[in-house]
Amino acid sequence: MTHFDPIVQIQLLAFAQTAQQLGFREQSCEFSPDESPRRLLARLVPALEISGLRVAVDCEYHDWDAPIGAASEIALIPPVSGG
Amino acid sequence: MLTKHVAFTTAPIVLPPVELPSLEIGACVEFQGIVREIEGTELLSGLHYEAYEVMAVRHLHRLFDEIANREACASVTFIHRLGWVPVQETSLFLRVLAAHRGPALRFCAEAIDRMKADVPIWKVARA
Repeated sequence: MTHFDPIVQIQLLAFAQTAQQLGFREQSCEFSPDESPRRLLARLVPALEISGLRVAVDCEYHDWDAPIGAASEIALIPPVSGG
Repeated sequence: MLTKHVAFTTAPIVLPPVELPSLEIGACVEFQGIVREIEGTELLSGLHYEAYEVMAVRHLHRLFDEIANREACASVTFIHRLGWVPVQETSLFLRVLAAHRGPALRFCAEAIDRMKADVPIWKVARA
């Protein structure tokens, strides 16, 4: 039986220096819920170096290699520096 | 139960008046983060701040609740300025009210350290 990955939309957010690098702050993209953030980013922006970044899915820090699941927003979080 | 006031603003931070929630308050600890002229090796005229606000607010509330499980405090007020903040102006204001100074000082110190480590707020230096 063929497994059809349900393709849905997710908002990809970028902040601070990552937004400057990518040239956008927000972009809608298609993904499959069993895709991981690492695979999603490798597919969308292969040139982006993610080693120094964290990733958040629906405002919660997320493992780069765990499935994104049913989410609406994924954010690239460069090193934070508030205060 | 800790009372929490968490706000982001693009306007200059105006220090809110102290309102003591009970006759038990014996300690009021305040912290202001002020933009310095020198950041690293650069001479600055200010800093630009941005935040992933919806996530930042959620994580700040969670952070404050967690600290309050260990440090008995009555209230915390957190105001962070976003956008352009000139040198010598306040980018962060934090106030903690408690019955005793120990918990208030420790709450303040830990809250700032952990905000700087995990809460999605960024400063971008501009000459």
